Amino acid sequence: MASEHYVIIGNGVAANAAVDILRQGDPDSRITVISREFFPFYYRHKLRFVISEELQEDQIVVRPPAHYREQNIRLRLGQEVQRVDLKEKTLYLKHMEKVHFTRLLLCCGGWPRIPEVHYTYRHHFTIVKGLSHAREFKEKLAGVKRVLMVGGDLVSLRITETLLRMGREVLFLIDRDSFWPLTLTDEIRTEFAERLTKHGAEVLIDDEITGIEEVAGIEEGTSGYEVTTRREKRISCDLVGAFFGLVPNVEFLFSSGLDIDRGILVDDHLQSRNPDVYAAGDCAQIWNPAINNYWVSIGWENARLLGEVAARNMLGESATAGAPKESALDYEGLKINTSWWHIYD
Amino acid sequence: MTELNGIDVTFRICGAAGDGSLAAGSFLNRAAARMGYHIMNIDLYPAEIRGFGKSVAHTRISDRPVQTPGSLADCLVSLNDLHAITELDTLAEGAVILYDSKPPNYVEEDEAIAGFIEPGMIGYGIPLGELSSIATKSARSRNIVALGALSGIFHLPSEYLRDAIRERFTRKSEEIAESNIRAFDLGLEYANTRLVKADAIDFEERVPGARDDVVIVSGNEAVARACLDAGVRLYAGYPITPATKIMEILAKELPKQGGVVVQTEDEISAIGHIIGGGFAGKRSITATSGPGLSLMSEFLNLAVMAEVPVVVVNGQRGGPSTGLPTKTEQSDLNIAVFGGSGDSPRPVLAPADVTECHKLTVKAFEVAEAFQTPVILLTDLFLANRVEDITWPEGDLAIWGRYENRIADPVAAEDFKRFVITPDGVSPRSIPGTPGLHYPATGLEHDERGMPEYSPENHLRMTEKRYLKFNTLRDAWPAPVPEGADGELDVGIISWGSTIGSAREALEHLHTTDMNAGGLFPRLIWPLHEDALKEFSSRSRNLIVAEGNYSGQFANMVEAVVCREVIRITEIPAGPIPSERIIEVAGGLNR
Ligand SMILES: Cc1cc2nc3c(=O)[nH]c(=O)nc-3n(C[C@H](O)[C@H](O)[C@H](O)COP(=O)(O)OP(=O)(O)OC[C@H]3O[C@@H](n4cnc5c(N)ncnc54)[C@H](O)[C@@H]3O)c2cc1C
Repeated sequence: MASEHYVIIGNGVAANAAVDILRQGDPDSRITVISREFFPFYYRHKLRFVISEELQEDQIVVRPPAHYREQNIRLRLGQEVQRVDLKEKTLYLKHMEKVHFTRLLLCCGGWPRIPEVHYTYRHHFTIVKGLSHAREFKEKLAGVKRVLMVGGDLVSLRITETLLRMGREVLFLIDRDSFWPLTLTDEIRTEFAERLTKHGAEVLIDDEITGIEEVAGIEEGTSGYEVTTRREKRISCDLVGAFFGLVPNVEFLFSSGLDIDRGILVDDHLQSRNPDVYAAGDCAQIWNPAINNYWVSIGWENARLLGEVAARNMLGESATAGAPKESALDYEGLKINTSWWHIYD
Repeated sequence: MTELNGIDVTFRICGAAGDGSLAAGSFLNRAAARMGYHIMNIDLYPAEIRGFGKSVAHTRISDRPVQTPGSLADCLVSLNDLHAITELDTLAEGAVILYDSKPPNYVEEDEAIAGFIEPGMIGYGIPLGELSSIATKSARSRNIVALGALSGIFHLPSEYLRDAIRERFTRKSEEIAESNIRAFDLGLEYANTRLVKADAIDFEERVPGARDDVVIVSGNEAVARACLDAGVRLYAGYPITPATKIMEILAKELPKQGGVVVQTEDEISAIGHIIGGGFAGKRSITATSGPGLSLMSEFLNLAVMAEVPVVVVNGQRGGPSTGLPTKTEQSDLNIAVFGGSGDSPRPVLAPADVTECHKLTVKAFEVAEAFQTPVILLTDLFLANRVEDITWPEGDLAIWGRYENRIADPVAAEDFKRFVITPDGVSPRSIPGTPGLHYPATGLEHDERGMPEYSPENHLRMTEKRYLKFNTLRDAWPAPVPEGADGELDVGIISWGSTIGSAREALEHLHTTDMNAGGLFPRLIWPLHEDALKEFSSRSRNLIVAEGNYSGQFANMVEAVVCREVIRITEIPAGPIPSERIIEVAGGLNR
């Protein structure tokens, strides 16, 4: 086993759960962790506190780089895998370096979904997936009075709370189909809207964007947006936050030969069609014999469990990815099933 | 050594031979010095023939005078990733790494420096090769693109860098110069438009004080220039690192002044030649390093015995034997001071910096002539090769004394006693060929006329005479003046040669603490100013001797004088002792 080189794409919760199992189970192996983010493993659900400056960046770190050195794990941060060659068992990094693996674990997470109808406006949208986005969001907020939140997902809900606490005006345009991972019934949507309004946000339902134009901002010397909607509303704001949920981040794998649908298709052992390649976390689309279909699940705790399962199987065990416990959101008395999304304060 | 209030930035430009890292370093030095910054540069390359190894231009730029090249770099420019990766442990916290983001081919695992950039470092990827090809149709100007990028990232005034580049390439052709300026501008533009500044180094386009009189000179160049200024007529030598450069310069320049350069078959012959020159009354010099000095030891004794003025420059490097030919050390002190057979006193001088390489070389000739003796000037590889911004010293350099060159009067030539006993031990000498003033110059013990004489009484008298003039020199040479705090000291630091820079930098730092610290830095290393050492020791609760050798060669000499044990910082790190090391030792002392 000493000659194994486990390479893990990703340094999120799935990757780190896997790394612990791999190091424990195969102490002499080489392990390499590659992440295109140039920041150590951190809690994504705490990003909103970075935006509000209630936490410093280093306070959201789960594991500093020193941990990997101690465990004899090569941590490559700020390095993007652009291509995977399964035949050669080689990864091609953006900075023109090859990395060879014997077994590969894909923990490349999700990426903010931009629905096709909104694709043309994507350059105007501000998203929050990683720390760099949070930094950008924080910087932009400095000159911002009014924020338009479009789409809607659990992240947007939290960020709205944060923005209101920070004294910003928030206009929330709830998109029926994208309050992801929830499917909103009309009743729940109305109840949500009520609660958001109570918190100080202005809520628009049953409407959608039909145009965004960059204009002078509300504050002098700043830039802002003029947004028009299907119901012929004209909304002036300084920032448009887009929150339509996360989808598996798999574009860079399209040429790899792996089976990809919404995510990377793997069996219930998280093994892909290539016996040396596994996937776990938000990027995986996993076979579930019970429903006779593949499922994608987004959520922190779920990703952690999947990381562990994948690692065990890579070590030769036979673990299966059962559906994790579902979570429920209690939003001021409004209880909603949130699939595998765990609620963190 | 980034100091954010002022500018104090250390760069390392690393490549393989042919990548132009040293050229880029020299442009950076020249430009920064002309802007009015102080610089210290040292080019590093391995012992093997240059073509195979890595070469690194290490440059420190500061808006205050710099004493050392700084130990850790704030910015590493990689022109060859395989070599640059080996430089990663020389980087300071938060260092910037500038690398080629688009090499022509994928490299194998762990062969790209970008793969080693971690939190705590800042990486800037720039398509150096691609931009170079656009500008000059070849990848050869990657170093110039990198300079342009440095200018953009750190806001270094670009016009000065362009001038330095233009000056160099215009010598080749106008076209080459312009294409390199294009390469520079592409690097600059890329940095300005495509990079997001993430570091804190900022020259703010500042030009602290443009200077025209500044020259960028290495220790070796300063020695060579001093030879020309001092009217040397003969240089004889055998090539050896790090002294060869002196011969190279003089081979070009000395004949223009009517002097002669002889490349001899070995070092024995070299010193033989210059003893001839000195005997003939012409200023004569050789330069070598440890192995050469060993070979010269017997002829040095002849010069002592026959009282012939010559100057021997010894650029110290790691030893013994061939040792570490391209690494600095200060371990030839013992052979310089004690390396003679019999009682063989010879003055030893050691400059602290490049300016002093010039001043003390001139002084060495004066001392050699006035006291009719061989003089050894101890530099070292670090001092010989390092480059500083200086202005050439003017005037008579009297800070190190004024000496009379006593020539016998031909009118009083009857019964000429070349070695006559005088109250100060110095006998008027004659220039061969002067009627009536001829004499035998011999390695045998001799009487006042120079005739062989072996009686114990004569041997004692003449030995005393040779030591007497040696003591006369000590009295004529001003005692070293203590630096730093007066009165009782928590720590006194004694050092010599190129380590003085580190010791001074350490003192500067200690003065920012509540520690009472002072320094004593003799340039006349032998004979020692014993009283000055004793006085300094008596004021110092703790006494440190810092020097670049293992056995504490100077510490041994100091202990013999001050009769107490000193705290030794005697290290051979294959580079200068970092000031941080001295600070660390001093900081840990009981007060
Ligand atoms: C703002 C925010 C708030 C959230 N709040 C909650 C919450 O309250 N509760 C909850 O349960 N979940 C929450 N989530 C979701 C949860 O954080 C994710 O489900 C979880 O982080 C998924 O972990 P992962 O390891 O699969 O992937 P990620 O954490 O997304 O990590 C993906 C990793 O892959 C790397 N990567 C991707 N592509 C490449 C490439 N080409 N080359 C190299 N590296 C690459 C990335 O750099 C990253 O390190 C939140 C997410 C966000 C963005």
